[in-house]
Amino acid sequence: MVGMASFVLTAVGMLRARDVYQRIQYTYPTATLGLVAVVAAIVIHKSISQAGIKAIVIGLIVFWTNPALSHATARAARVREFGNWTPSEKERIQVTEDVE
Amino acid sequence: MNPWLVTALFVLLCLAGPFAICARGDAINRLVGLEAGSNMAVVILLLLAAGFNRDFLTDLALALALLSFGGGLVFARFLERWF
Repeated sequence: MVGMASFVLTAVGMLRARDVYQRIQYTYPTATLGLVAVVAAIVIHKSISQAGIKAIVIGLIVFWTNPALSHATARAARVREFGNWTPSEKERIQVTEDVE
Repeated sequence: MNPWLVTALFVLLCLAGPFAICARGDAINRLVGLEAGSNMAVVILLLLAAGFNRDFLTDLALALALLSFGGGLVFARFLERWF
C-alpha cells in the first residue's frame, strides 16, 4: 500500500508541479519509497533466491543513481535558463569561504 | 490475476502522469517526465517478472535501470550544451 501510494504521489505531483525543479522532486517517491517497498515484497515472497538478489541489486542501482540523474537534470535546466549553473549576483546566495 | 499483476496494472495507470509531462512542455520538462517514467517502468518489469513467476525476466528490469541512468545523463548533458 505504501508503494502504491508513492506511485500516485509521483503521478499527481508531477502534474501539479509548477516548474521543472519541483517536478524533479516528485521523481523521488517512486525511486525511493515505492521501489524499496516492491523490492521488500519480492524478497519476502521469494526469499534470497536469484530473483530476490536481482531485485535487491536493482533497488540499490536505482536508489543510488537517481540523485545523480536529478542533479544533472537540474543543472541542465539551470544552464538552459541562465546560461551558467553558478549562483548569480542578483540571487544573493551567501557562499561561505572558510568554515573553521 | 495475482496481487503482483494487479499492482503492475496500477503502476501502469500511474505511468499516465509522467506520460502527460512527456507529451507537452519544453525539452527539459519532458526529460524529467522520461526519468520518472523509466523508474516506474523498472518497477513494472519487476512486478511482471514476479507475477508470471519467471525469475530470468528480472534481468530486463536490471538492464532498463542501468540503461535509463546512462541515457538520462547523456540527455541532460546534451540539453545543457546544445539549445
